[in-house]
Formats: sequence, C-alpha cells, structure tokens
Amino acid sequence: MATRFGVDVGGTFTDLLFYDDETGELHVAKQPTTPASPDQGVLDAVDVGIPGDGLARSAYFLHGTTVGLNALIERRGAVVGLITTKGFRDALEIRRGDKGDPYDLFWTPPQPLVARRRRLTVDERIAADGTIETPLDAAEVTAVLEQLLAQGVDAIAVSLLNAYANPAHEIAVEEALRAAGFTGVVSLSHRASGEYREYERTSTAAVNAFVTARMSDYLTRLDASLTERGFEGRSLITRSGGGSVPFSHADDRAFETIMSGPVAGAEGAGELARRLGLGDVITADVGGTSFDTALIVEGRPKVLHAGDIEGFPLQTDWVDVRSIGAGGGSIAAVDAGGLLRVGPRSAGAVPGPACYRRGGTEATTTDAAFYLGMLGLGELSSGLLLDREATERALAPIAEQLGMTPAEAAVGIIRIVTANMANAIRSVSIEQGRDPRRAVLMPFGGAGPLFGTLLADELDMDEVLVPAYAGNFSAWGLLGADLTASSSRTHLAMLEESAVDGIAAVLSDLFEEMGGRFGADPATAEKIAQVDLRYAGQEYALTIDLAWDGTQVLDAVDKTARRFAEAYVAAFGHELEDPVEVVTVRAAYRSPLPARKPASSATSEQPPADRSCRAWSFQRQEWMEFAVVAREAIEEGRPGPLIMTETTTTTYVDAGYTVHHGAEGTVVLRRTPRDA
Amino acid sequence: MDAIEAMATVHGRARTYYEGEVRKIVFSSGLGQVESESDFDPITTEVVRHGLNAAADQMRLTMIRTSYSAAIYELLDFAVALYDTDYRMLAQSPTLPLFMGNLNFMVEAAVRAVGGPENVLDGDVIMYNVPYQMGGHPQDGGVVSPVYLDGELLGYAAVRAHVQDLAAKEPYVTDSTDVFQEGMQFPGVKLYRQGERVDDIWRIVLANTRFPTSVAGDFNAMLACLRSGREGLLRLVERIGKDDFNQAVQRIYEHGARVVRSYFEQLPDGRYTATGVMDGDGIVDETVPFDITVEIDGSTVRVDYSEVPDARGGPMNSCFPTTVAATRVAISMLAGAHESPNEGLYDPIEIVSRPGSMFHPLPPAPSYLTDYMGGQAVEVIYEALSKALPERVPACSSGDVNVTIWWGEQEGAEEPWSEATIHSIGLGGNRDADGASGMFHVVAANMKLVPAEVLESRLPWRVEGYDLTPDSGGAGRHRGGLGQEFKVRVLEDGFITAPSERMRTAPWGLDGGLVGVPNTRAIQYPGSDELTYFEKVTAMPVPAGSVLVQHGGGGGGYGDPAERPVEQIKDDLEDGYLTEAYVRRYYPQYSFDA
Repeated sequence: MATRFGVDVGGTFTDLLFYDDETGELHVAKQPTTPASPDQGVLDAVDVGIPGDGLARSAYFLHGTTVGLNALIERRGAVVGLITTKGFRDALEIRRGDKGDPYDLFWTPPQPLVARRRRLTVDERIAADGTIETPLDAAEVTAVLEQLLAQGVDAIAVSLLNAYANPAHEIAVEEALRAAGFTGVVSLSHRASGEYREYERTSTAAVNAFVTARMSDYLTRLDASLTERGFEGRSLITRSGGGSVPFSHADDRAFETIMSGPVAGAEGAGELARRLGLGDVITADVGGTSFDTALIVEGRPKVLHAGDIEGFPLQTDWVDVRSIGAGGGSIAAVDAGGLLRVGPRSAGAVPGPACYRRGGTEATTTDAAFYLGMLGLGELSSGLLLDREATERALAPIAEQLGMTPAEAAVGIIRIVTANMANAIRSVSIEQGRDPRRAVLMPFGGAGPLFGTLLADELDMDEVLVPAYAGNFSAWGLLGADLTASSSRTHLAMLEESAVDGIAAVLSDLFEEMGGRFGADPATAEKIAQVDLRYAGQEYALTIDLAWDGTQVLDAVDKTARRFAEAYVAAFGHELEDPVEVVTVRAAYRSPLPARKPASSATSEQPPADRSCRAWSFQRQEWMEFAVVAREAIEEGRPGPLIMTETTTTTYVDAGYTVHHGAEGTVVLRRTPRDA
Repeated sequence: MDAIEAMATVHGRARTYYEGEVRKIVFSSGLGQVESESDFDPITTEVVRHGLNAAADQMRLTMIRTSYSAAIYELLDFAVALYDTDYRMLAQSPTLPLFMGNLNFMVEAAVRAVGGPENVLDGDVIMYNVPYQMGGHPQDGGVVSPVYLDGELLGYAAVRAHVQDLAAKEPYVTDSTDVFQEGMQFPGVKLYRQGERVDDIWRIVLANTRFPTSVAGDFNAMLACLRSGREGLLRLVERIGKDDFNQAVQRIYEHGARVVRSYFEQLPDGRYTATGVMDGDGIVDETVPFDITVEIDGSTVRVDYSEVPDARGGPMNSCFPTTVAATRVAISMLAGAHESPNEGLYDPIEIVSRPGSMFHPLPPAPSYLTDYMGGQAVEVIYEALSKALPERVPACSSGDVNVTIWWGEQEGAEEPWSEATIHSIGLGGNRDADGASGMFHVVAANMKLVPAEVLESRLPWRVEGYDLTPDSGGAGRHRGGLGQEFKVRVLEDGFITAPSERMRTAPWGLDGGLVGVPNTRAIQYPGSDELTYFEKVTAMPVPAGSVLVQHGGGGGGYGDPAERPVEQIKDDLEDGYLTEAYVRRYYPQYSFDA
C-alpha cells in the first residue's frame, strides 16, 4: 500500500500531488499559500486535490514547508537563551568576521539570533582531545538559568567549546536545566552536529532552538487536522540534506528541515534519473524569483555538509542546489553605465510581470518571453490571458534606452538570463569535474521548460528531458523521498592502516546513535559510510564512500586513498604525493518508500487541432511560425520549432530540436545533429 | 628611470614630470585614450562580463579548496585575476581587497623579465615576487601563465598568494633594513616551460623555506588555480568568438569607467588633505606622520602621495603597486556601485607619487610591511574626503588587520609549525548606522577567523576566548564598533612576529563623534600576574604557559554623542556593549535613576 500525497508549500503557491497506487494516477492541485497559518493552505489543497476516499487510503503524507525558513526571515521564533563556554560569549555575534558583500563599504552583519544579554557563559573547559580541563559546576548552570528565565527565555541552546570531542558537559548542562525545572526546548550543539568549528555549530543549535517550537506546533496541528479528515498514514517532512524524517523528528531536529522546495526538485530528478538509468543530469528549476540548479551523478544530487540560510550557517547535510536570482519575475533594467541587467530584483507574484496585469509595470523575463512568442498564445492554465499591450509598454523604455527595437531588447533579456543560468550550471558541474556537455538537462518548475533548448544551446548539450508534471515537479519529487537519517563526527587521523579501527568505531557509534531516531527499520535500511579526506595540511576535504558491513570497513586503505586521488584529479586537475588525512566520518541510513508505478505516456484520444503563433527562433535568429501543441497530442519525432503546452508549464522547442516521448511520461527534446 | 616608469608604458600610463628639482610620477589605469565610445552590443557585453567574473570566481574557489595554509584558505591573503594582452584587468574575484587591481604590475614585470610576450609560450608559468614591481613582500609568491587560443595570445591568468616562508630572515619580519632580509626574490623565472616543470627552480623554492610541505602545497594550489582560470577564459572566448569578445571587453571597461566617473561628477571639485600617522618604521622608535591629498577634478579623482616623507630605513614603506591598490580599493569601494572590478573602474583615478618616498620606495629599501601602509592610506583618503563629504565615508576603523604570525618546533614533527591569526576590530560609525563590531579593516574585509576548535586541534594552544571588548568603540550618535580580545595560552615554546599598526594613535571620529580605542597587545608570562605590553616585534620568544592577549581596537564614532537616543544607550547597557561608568562619562543624557 503506497498511495500517498505530497504537499510543497512555496512562497506563493501550495502545490499538492496525490498518487493513487491502485490506478497509478496522479492528481494535481495548486492553492495560494496562506502565510498567516500555512496549514490552512495545505488543508485547502488536500480538500481540493485528493478525490474520494483517497486521504483515508494514503499510507504517507510527504511535506515540504517554508515554516522554519519564514520564522528566520521574519524573526518570529522562540526567545532563545544561549549557554556557552566562558570566553566564547560572542562567537555567535562575531561569526567569522567576514563580510557578506565584499564591495559594500557599509555592509553590516545580520542581528544575531540571540541578543548578547541572553548569551551567558559557564566556567568549564574541555580540550580538543576530549579531556576535561575545568569541570562543570551544575550550580552555575542553575544561576544562569535564573538569569535567562528573568528575561523570558523559552528555549535554550547550549554550545560548549570542543563538545564535538566530548559531549559530557553539554549533557550535564541539560540535566541541570531539567533538574532546575526548565521545561522548554533545549538544543545541544553536539546533537545537531558532531563536527568542529564552534561558530557554525553554535549557529545550528541556536537556529534549532529558535524554530523548533514553531515548527513542532505547526506540524502537530497539521497532523491532527489530517487525522480528523481520516488520514491514518505516516506524516513525513523533507530534510535539507535530502530524504525525509517523521514529523516527530522536528521536535528536536527542526534545523534539518529548513530548506525544502529546491531540494525536493533535485531529489525528484535523482529518482527519475535512477528509474531511467541516466548518466549525469543537470536540473534547471525556474520559478518566479530564482533559478535553482543541481548536478545529479549516479542518480543522486551531491550533498554538502554545510548550509546557509538568511546568513546563518547550518552545520548539517545540505543538497548542493545553487540558486541565482533569475526567474520568471526577474526585472530587466538599464544601469547607470548603459548596460542591460536582469535580476536579482524580482516582481514576484505581486505585482508580477507586466503582462499579468496585476499591477506590475516593469519588464520581466516572463514579459520578454511572452513578447517573443515563447509562451505561445499567452493562455495560462489558470485562465489568465496575458496582455500584449502591457508587455509592450513595459519593454518600450528599456528598448529606447538601449537604442534597440523592443524585440531586440526582449531577445537581450532572454540571452542574459540564459547566460547567467548557464554560468551557474557550469560552476556546479565543473567544480565536481563533470562536463555539462555529457549530461542531460532536466528543466522543470513553472518557467524551466521555457529555457530548456536555450540552455542546451548555450552549454552544448544534446538532450533536454522534460519530466511529467514538470510544473509541479518539486511536489513529485516529494512523493519519492527516502526515509533518511545521517550523522557525522570530526575525527582527525592520517589515512593509514592503523586508522581503520578508529574509523570503524566512530561509524558504529554513529549508526547506533541514529538508530533510535531513524524513521524506518535500521536492520533493513541501506547503510552509507563515508569519510572526508584531504591532503594533510589542507583545510577543505572531499567526501569519499567506504564499503561498510555493519561492523567493519571493507575497503583497504590504499583503495580509499586511490578513490580520493581520482576525485581530486577530477576536481582540480592533478594529484599530490602528500599523505592523506581523515577529517570527518559520516554515516547515513536510507530506506526508500515503496516504489511508484511509472507515469504513463498516454496521449489523449482526440488531440486538439494544432494552432500556431509567431515566435522568435534563437537558433535561426528570425521570427518563425511555431506550432502550438498540447503535450499529450504531440506526435513522436515531431521537429521544432514548436511550443508545447500543458497545465502547469510551457515548453519552448526551438528549431533544430525534435520531440520524442520517453519512458515515465517524459518528453525528450533532442538536438538535430549539427551537420545534418 | 625607475622600473615602474620603464614598465608602465602601455597606453602611456605613467608620466614623469619635475616640480623644481623634484621628480614625480602620475599614474593612471591602462585604459588609454578612448577615441569614441563603444556602441558594441550591450547584450553580448553583459554576457561576457558575467562570464569573466564566473571564470575569476572559479580561480578563487580552487585556491581555497586546495591550499595548505590558513593565510590562504581563511584569511584569503591572495589574489586571482585575468588580464588582457595589454595588462588590463578583465576580472578579479574578491579575496584580500588590498591585492585588488594591482596584479597588472606583476603580470607585466613577469612577461618583460622573460623577454616579452613572444617568449611566453603556451603552458609556461612564470614566477615573480619582486616587491617594488609587485606590491606585497617576497613571500607573496606570484605566478602568471598565458592563455592561448589557436596559437594566439588572449591574455593572462595570474595569482599571488602569501606562502608561509620564502627565506626571509624570520618567517615574518618587522625590522628588516633592506629587501635581502625579506626573502628570496624570483625576478620572473619560468617555473613551467610549455607544460613541463622546471625542477631546478622548484627545488630552489623548496630549499629556501622553513615550511616546504606547506609552501609546495600552496604553489600546487596556485597551479591548479591558473589552470582553472585558463580553462574558464578559453571556454568563454571560444563561445563568444574572439572579435566579439574583444569588443565586449572594451565596452566593459568603458562601462566601469562611466560608473565611477558619474559618482565623482556629482561631487563638488576641490582639494582635501589629511594626515596619517604610522606608529613607527620598525627600526626607529618614532611616529611617522604623512599627508595625502585627494583632489576631485570633474569626473577624475587624483590622489597625491608626493608630499610624504622619504622612504624609511625600516620596512614601513609602501611599494608603488601597493600604493596603487590602496587607492583603487578606497575609491572603488566608495564609487564602484558594488560592481565586480575591472580595469574600467580604475580609469578615473590618477595617482601621484615621488620615487624614493615612503609610498614609492626604490631598491633595495626594506618594504616588508608595505600592506600596513596601504591600510592606513585608505583611512587617510577617507579622512580627506570627509572634510567635504562626511556623509559619504565612515569614521576611522581601528585601522589594522592585527595579524600575528606564530611558529615553533613541535616534538616529533619533521617540520616546524606555523600559523597566522587575525583579531577582528571595530569599524567606524557612519551617517546611517553604528560601526560593525568584530569585523576586519576595509583592506582585509573578506578575511575569516579560524575557529578556536580548529586551532586547538592542530596547535599546542588553548584559546581562552575572543569576546568583544565593551566600551572600545568611539562614542557618537552612531558609535564605533567594538574590537575583540583574542586570548591564547601557548602550551609549548614558540615565537611570534606582530606587525600591528595604530597602537599609538586612536581611530578618529567623524562629524562630532569621538575616537575609538587603539589596538593593543600584551603577554602574561608564566608565573606572572602582570601583563607586559608590546608593539611591533619580530621573532619574540613565547615560552610555554604564556598567555597572549591581542586586543583589536574599536572604531571611531559618528555624530555628536549627545544625539544618541537613550533607548539605544539602554540597549547597549543591557547587552553589556557599554559599561555604566562609560555611559556616565560619555552619554550624560542617560539617566540611571529612572
């Protein structure tokens, strides 16, 4: 039984996908997000989008939400107190001392999440090797608690120096707080992260303390409302590092669930790549305000082990999705020096692109695309008819300032946005030593498929794969989220035979520690063991897989070293003869949800008649007649130029590409060989 | 003729003239006279601009990810850039601001040293570190490599990074009396010939350092970085086409120039002079005042260093390329509209110097502390501008990077250890806000502190803390930011070199704001309760058990302290940024009775 539904709450819309395992059908719903109480938007989508007894038959609810993120943006969370080691009171405020905008003389850092008056210290000290140098005095903790309570603190983060090496004092602080009667959230830094770097770990604990109550309340409320409506399955929430965890997890690990939407898309692309047996895949997720791209290798997006949200670092798993401010709503403008700039300013959903006629007057990417015919006849599924005159009015001043025709200005806007997106794709792939020319491009999101063939041209890629439900693909990705848990610990050692037992001991610890919170049965789950390695003397490391049988590392040391050297060559072009050092040991459990049936590639029985519109061909550099064809009606092998329409998105297929139907309901746009 | 004049001949960048007997040089960017404004396609121009910045950024990331010393991967004491064949900057990624916009000197000197561009072949890497033609000190290893497309030279990739040691008399010095004590000079020698390493040079490099593993690692990082820069530039030019690329670049330069010119056009013309003070030159124990004049002349800004004293006998001299970089940092941070830099931003800037002076020393004058001069120069330029435009510039920051260089022998280790730490400071208040606390001087603004946990994992240290220092910022309507007190107990014998400036003069306030607290350093020897204060030291022994206390000062205040709202004073008191005694003295408007 694996009927399920996924709901992704975005800034503007709440997307629902319901998958019925009995029929293999998917149902889509979109409702406005309700920022004041986001659970209402979710329930609205559930009421609208899940037919019949679907909710009662659902085994899983998969949820991605911006509740935690919004709490940070709006600074609406718990009143947090921070207890730290004497001498380190200001770690949270000083950060690493660096500057967010290197070219802004007056840049100032964000206000720390915990004001200085609520950052208090205890006189204790643990050394880097875990030795206790100054014991903790529980009475001091009680005194600190009194001061915090007097300031109305309702959540406490505890981050003591070198707690990654020995957590005893953090645990003792928690015990003392509880013994003194504190019942609020206590967030211990070593539980959030077993890695060194006190500022990042402290920030993670503080963010966790700040968002936990709000997130937990929200999830509890939502769960109860769904139960009331007859849902009896499991409720899971997505992790920033990929996969999902039970709702209850957010009670003490809310920091793991801060980033959702972009991750779900990348995870969905990974799942689809695995199901289709694809090699490297590059995603191009274009929404209203941003372009998100990720590289999928061997069916998985790359996972980083540090993230950043609203200027606050999080020392946790983080799917490597690169984001730039280039979306459908990005505003085009001519700067003081006479060059055309697009983004990062965005018209968002309100006032939106000029052609939406919701009050926007500035030209956006969407206006340029519409002007050039890339959106076909301008009929959106919502029933909105785009307004050509408004678009022309918005483009006119830009064209005039540039001394161009409006068409030239519109082409310019699309070229600049495309080039910026291509730069982001190059950096995400080249940094990992992967050549984008050998990858498949997977565009999705409301505006992604508009840019598919343009990006393929820019990056010299031959194949663009538009997934089924491309406009709601992030929600589709949610439906396949594996149950996951992960843990890591800084463990410095030279990579030699003598280090293997130490690594194995840490791995055993980590797997055991995670077992209790993992949402599935550890016995049957996939176990992933990794080490971060570097040449001794370096700071930055590469993460390398280890074979692990549950008690010991199966790979010989020289094999691991060789794998590291290969990865290093791929990333940096050469290898060194220096000794290799272990920095961090990583462990993860992964347990997939039951597989879904493949999406059908069915075409409708009575294809609507072809229509056509004039549109600009970037390939041919001229206006051409583009067929406007519904996705389900398109015949195999049909050559572009054409505009492919579907409910949630529009695909621009330039001349020089042919359309093919692939497995799992995908559509593949293949570049016609150049010399043909 | 001075090497700078001999070298900077492209587009007539350097011009010599005499004022009576005194020889002076006017230097401007390499943009040259623009005959007519480019009307090349603004769309392709924007695509190329982004592409160049992305390529430079990959170079930066490669350095960070492959380097061996914290000075590079956290302190970002390096610079990466792409140059065209006329040594004009195509793009540079943000690292140490003081290395901004002056790699042109190094690239040109390196190319000239091997006999000009015709002797620079595909796959060559030239090593260059002569301070007078590069800025920085000999420890800033520089490497340059050409970028060829189909046999045609497109330009150069260049990187310069502070390696831990290249045979200076100590790993870091504040008391050299000539350049030969400051390290080994590589005056443009090929480290690679057409892709093959010249092992003779490589072995000489590694034989002349106390820390060969780290230095080899950092040079390898520079080579990986050059490779990524070459590949990035090639990919871009192949995609765009060489002709379009060149035309786009010309328009990028003109655009950059227009951004900065439009800033100065809005300001009234005038000449403004301010006086800076160096604590001492490292040899003679006396402060060294100097005057810098900033002149706004239409859309041009002229910064005149020609009235400063003669070059000093100690290493407190700013090599001309450092003088240029400091000026470019000061002006482009102010007028550059947050743009990533290219040669165009520097076009409106003219720099006047006097060869033989402390901002343009000639060989073999010592100049190891050149960068510390650059830091002060930026503050003086802002102070001069503040006389006309107090609302456009911040009050003085605590004025220095506060670097400490540490080293020692660790039992059982093959090589000594070495570490550079930085201690953050308070920035000056400005018209709109308090100065930020615990950050870095504008010439070092992208530096990152190394976490205490990382330091303790690899060094015989206990970091005892790094709290902000209450009351350290100057009072004002917008007060100065607070500095940081960095305390380390060393567990084994070692040495330090401490080059800090602004320990003798307080950071100035602006528009009625008061001065901040200067930087201080002290050591508490084992068994003693007393703090022994010290200033610049080279290779000072630090016995096991000592505690070093390095206090980064606070920024100057902005505006009359009497205008500071009492609610803000109350917040500062509750947060412990200010003490009661301080508030009673400087903010009498606050009542403790209420």
